[in-house]
Amino acid sequence: MSSGPTQPRPATQHLRRNPPIAGEEEAIEKARNGDARAFETLYAMHKRRVYSLCLRMLGNVAEAEDLTQEAFLQLYRKIGTFRGDSAFSTWLHRLAVNVVLMHLRRKGLPQVSLEETLEPSQDDGPRKDIGARDLTLSGSIDRVTLERAIENLPPGYRLVFVLHDVEGYEHNEIAEMLDCSIGNSKSQLHKARMKLRDLLHTGQRKEQIA
Amino acid sequence: MSVRVMEKTMTCAEFQESLPELFEAHADLNAQEHLKTCDNCAALVRDLEYIASQAKLLLPMHDPSPAVWDNIQQAIRRNPSAQPGRK
Repeated sequence: MSSGPTQPRPATQHLRRNPPIAGEEEAIEKARNGDARAFETLYAMHKRRVYSLCLRMLGNVAEAEDLTQEAFLQLYRKIGTFRGDSAFSTWLHRLAVNVVLMHLRRKGLPQVSLEETLEPSQDDGPRKDIGARDLTLSGSIDRVTLERAIENLPPGYRLVFVLHDVEGYEHNEIAEMLDCSIGNSKSQLHKARMKLRDLLHTGQRKEQIA
Repeated sequence: MSVRVMEKTMTCAEFQESLPELFEAHADLNAQEHLKTCDNCAALVRDLEYIASQAKLLLPMHDPSPAVWDNIQQAIRRNPSAQPGRK
């Protein structure tokens, strides 16, 4: 897979999450022509989103900062290839996703080897023992609690959950990114949500005991 | 398993096995017969829907440290040939 972003299809959620930013178009044009201040403006506009994406995918501050840096360096080199087929932020975020995935592959970690983690296990099978006896989650979890639970997901689950449920990528896009089947992406997402539910319920029970 | 599977005799395990497909098909889960009689699975569905909906609302919360921009500037200065349009 190339580390450069393809021109992704606009997805509804991408558009919702990536509204046009005042001054962005002008900054892009100037940065394409080597204007350092314009590039700094683009960094200021997008650093939080790119860093948050890296952090959620990796669960590690130091790595997230390194890869945010790498993503913007790639942006600096490749901004001339941005054709405007999609929102700039959509294009940049796809570039950042690719940077993270390349990093994970270089490390040789199993995060992106979804096939292995899709094998059914005792932890992942249908659960009949949770539900009515527990507090229902609805309306009871705040943003920080959910973020923390996502951090605690196994890496393979976390990748698919962040890409689909948080970032709004479609399963066909995730399958292409992670080099797995669409079915695997769907299955992994479901298992991630189930695991998150377990983590959130466990957190609630601990709070009750405390 | 078909999305249309809505047998009253469906077990919890069978229903939960069909859940990924039901979610992806955006099926009307309230219409599932199994949920009308199974509080456990109804709570499960409510939770999974809630988790997915809350995840969509998560926004970027943290900024990278100032060192990240410093490093970017230094890297650009060290390698001026990597300017926009040159690669």
